[in-house]
Amino acid sequence: MQSLRGVDLDVVAGQIHALVGENGAGKSTLAAIAFGELNADEGTVETTGTVGLVHQHFELIGRLRVWENIVLGREPHIGPRLDRQAARHYVAERAKAYGLELDVDAYVDTLPVGVQQRVELLRELERQPSVLLLDEPTAALAPNEIASFFRIVVSLAERGTAILVVTHKLQEVLDYAQHVTVLRHGERVTSIPTSQTSLHEIAAAMIGGDIPTLSQRSVREPQPCVEIKNLTARVGESSIAGISLSIEAGEIVGIAGVEGNGQSALADALLRLSPYSGEISFADGFANARIASIPQDRLTEGVIPGWSVTDNILLSRQHHADASKGGWLDHANMHQTATRLVADYDVRPNNIDLPLRSLSGGNQQKIVVGRALLDEPQFLLAYNPTRGVDVGAAALVQSRLIEARNRGVAVLLISFDIDEILAVADRVIVLFRGEMRGEFHGPLYDRARIGRLMAGVS
Amino acid sequence: MTKRLQFEPLMAIGLVIVIGSITMLLAGVNPFDGFSALLLGAFGGRSQIGETLVQTTALLFPALGICIAFRAGLFNIGAEGQLIMGGLFAGALGANLHAPAIIAIPAMLIAGIVGGGLWGAIAGWMKARYGASEVIATLMLNFVAGYVALALVNGPWKSPLASGAETAPLLPTAILPTLLSGTRLSIALLIAIALAVVLHVVLRKTVFGFDLRALGDAPEAARRSGVNITQLTVVALALSGACAGLGGATIVGGMLHRFNTALSPGYGFTAIAVALVGELQPFWICIAALGFGALESGGLAMQATAQVPKDAIHIIEGAIILVLAARRYIVTKRTANA
Repeated sequence: MQSLRGVDLDVVAGQIHALVGENGAGKSTLAAIAFGELNADEGTVETTGTVGLVHQHFELIGRLRVWENIVLGREPHIGPRLDRQAARHYVAERAKAYGLELDVDAYVDTLPVGVQQRVELLRELERQPSVLLLDEPTAALAPNEIASFFRIVVSLAERGTAILVVTHKLQEVLDYAQHVTVLRHGERVTSIPTSQTSLHEIAAAMIGGDIPTLSQRSVREPQPCVEIKNLTARVGESSIAGISLSIEAGEIVGIAGVEGNGQSALADALLRLSPYSGEISFADGFANARIASIPQDRLTEGVIPGWSVTDNILLSRQHHADASKGGWLDHANMHQTATRLVADYDVRPNNIDLPLRSLSGGNQQKIVVGRALLDEPQFLLAYNPTRGVDVGAAALVQSRLIEARNRGVAVLLISFDIDEILAVADRVIVLFRGEMRGEFHGPLYDRARIGRLMAGVS
Repeated sequence: MTKRLQFEPLMAIGLVIVIGSITMLLAGVNPFDGFSALLLGAFGGRSQIGETLVQTTALLFPALGICIAFRAGLFNIGAEGQLIMGGLFAGALGANLHAPAIIAIPAMLIAGIVGGGLWGAIAGWMKARYGASEVIATLMLNFVAGYVALALVNGPWKSPLASGAETAPLLPTAILPTLLSGTRLSIALLIAIALAVVLHVVLRKTVFGFDLRALGDAPEAARRSGVNITQLTVVALALSGACAGLGGATIVGGMLHRFNTALSPGYGFTAIAVALVGELQPFWICIAALGFGALESGGLAMQATAQVPKDAIHIIEGAIILVLAARRYIVTKRTANA
C-alpha cells in the first residue's frame, strides 16, 4: 500500500516546522524517510549536515546512569579503561550548554518521563544534527513539562537547527511552530506559516471536513452508583494508594493524569483483574451491576485481531446469558448483534465476517466501544478510549460515552488526553503518583491548575 | 497467483517423493520398488488396510488431545506419557474387573481417560499454580510415566504367568470388539472418529471452545474477557491428557490385550506432527493420521519386502513436516504481502 504520494517538504534552518495529520496520514513514514530509516520509491531527501531523531518511545537504557546513556558507544577512555570523570564532566557541560537541567548521575529509570525526554534529546544533540526530527515528543509529558520542553526546542532553533515536529496536538503547533504542513491520506493538503492560519483551519484540513460536534448532555438526577473506598493496588510498575471516590449513575468522572501515575492499577483493580485492598461497592439497585470495559491497549487486551468482527463482538460478553445460551454459542444472535452494531457505529467496511485486523484502528475501536455498551452495562470503565483513533471516530466514541451517561450509565473515563477529559467529563480528578490530587467540577475547568496538579506542582 | 497456490499441494507431494527417492537411493534401493512396497504394505489388502487403520487410530487419539492443548496455546509434549498412564490404568482395571462387557469395556476406557487426564492435569496444575513451563513439565512427565509403569509391571503388577514385564492379560469381557475380522482393527477407530466429531463441535459451537481458542490466540484478551485462565489451563491439559489416555486404553483393549511397557513406539510424539500437519483442525487431523498411519504400517512392509530400512520412513515423515511448514510459511508471507 502507498502511504505517501508526491509530498514536498522544506524545513528551514532556524525554524520549527510542524507536520500534522491523522493516524495513517503518512507522518511517520515521511519522518522515517527524512531520517533515512526508510527509502522513498521516488523523490529525494537533501540535507545539509546530519539528521537527529527523537523517538516517541525513548530508546534509553533504564538501568544505566544519565551520563552512561549519553556517552554509550563513544566513551572517553584512558587506554582500555573508561574515564568516568571525564565522561561525567563532559555530559554535565553539554547539558548546561543546551540549557537542559539534568542530574547526570541519576539512573534513567528513576527519572520522570519529562526528564527522560531531555536525556533522549541530549543524546541526539550529541550528533550535532543540523536537522532535528521530533516524533510526537510531548505524548507522555504533563502540560508544564511540555512548556519547558518547547523552551529548549525554541532555543535550539534560534541557534540555527532546523526542527521538524511530528504531532497531532494542534495547540502546540500554533504556540511554537513557524510553519505547518498538513498531510491527509498520504498527500500534502496544505503548507503555510502558522501566523496565517487557525486551529480550526488546521483541524479541518487534517480531517478533510468540518470538525464533528459531540452529543449534548441531558440534565440528570444524581443517584449514587459506584462507591470506591481506600483502594490500594499494584500492577507491575503501576500503583495506587488510598483512592476514594464515588461515581453517580449518569455521570462521567474523568481521571486526568500523565501516563504512569497509577492509571493501570486503578483500572485493573476496578475490573477485579488484580488483587487490591479497600472496598468497591455498588449502591442499592446496582447490586449485580454489569461492568463493561474499554481496555487501554486495544490490540492485546481488547480484541483478537485474527478473529472475525462477529467473534470479537462476542468476546468479553461470551459468559453473559444474553449472548450465549447454556454453554452453546448462539450464532444467530451473534450475527444479528454484530450486524446491528456495525450499522449503529458506522463501521467500515461493514462486513462482519472479515478478520478484525483488516479494519482501521478507528473502526476497530468503534467495535470495542460498541461491544462494551451492549447488554446495558451500569458501570463503564473507559481507559484511553480514543487513543490512536482518527478525529471522526474519536468524536463518535466520545459522543457514545455521553449518550451512555445520558441513559444513566456511570462512566469512569481514564485518559492521558486532558482535552478529551475536559470535553467529556462532568467531574475531573487528578491522579499523580497513585494518589488523588484535587477534584474539579465542570463544565468550566481551570485547565492551568489541572495541568499543574498533573505534574505534581501544587 | 491463485493458480500457483493450487499447484502447491502437488508440488509438496512431489518434493516428498524426491526426498524419499534420494533416501532410498542412498540405501541402495530402487525408489520405484521402495514406494510400491510402501503403498502395497499400507493398502495392498484387507490385512494391510486393517493394520494401517490400527496405526491411524493409535495416532488419532493423542493427536486430538494435542489439538486441544495447542489450540489453548499450551504446548503439550507429554502425550506419550499420558498415553502410557491411560494404558496402565486401563490394563490394571481390565485385568481385574469381573463384569459383563457392557460394563467392563466402558469402565476400562474411563480408567484410561482418568489416567491420562490426571497426568495432563498435573502438568496443568504445575503451570497454573507455579508458573512452570508446560513444555518442560509435560516432557519430563513422559519419563516419570515411563518409569512408573516400568516399576509397576516389574513389581506389584507383574503378571505371575508372564516372562516379560507386563500385567496380567485382560479378562475376555474387557477386550474391544473387532471391527475388521482377521485384523487387529477394533471399534477403537469408531471411538476416535466420534471423538474428532465431538472436538470439532466443542471448538466451533460452545462457549468453552470459544474460551479455549481465545486463550490460545490472545491470552491477555481472554483474561480480560472473563476467562478464568488458571482453571482453563488445568482443564485443557487434563482433557488433552484424557484423549491420549483413552488412546492408551484402546491400545491395551484392542491391540495388546494387556499392558506392557512396549505399548507405544512413540505414538505420542508422532501425534504432534499429525496434529500440526492437520493444522489443529479435527477433520484434517483425521486425514493426517491416516497418512502417517499408512507410513507406519507400510514402512514395516517396505523393510521386509524391499529391504529399505524403516528409518527411511522417519526421513520421509520429517520431509513431509518440513515441506508443509515451508508451504505454510510461503502462503502466510504471500498473504501478508498482498
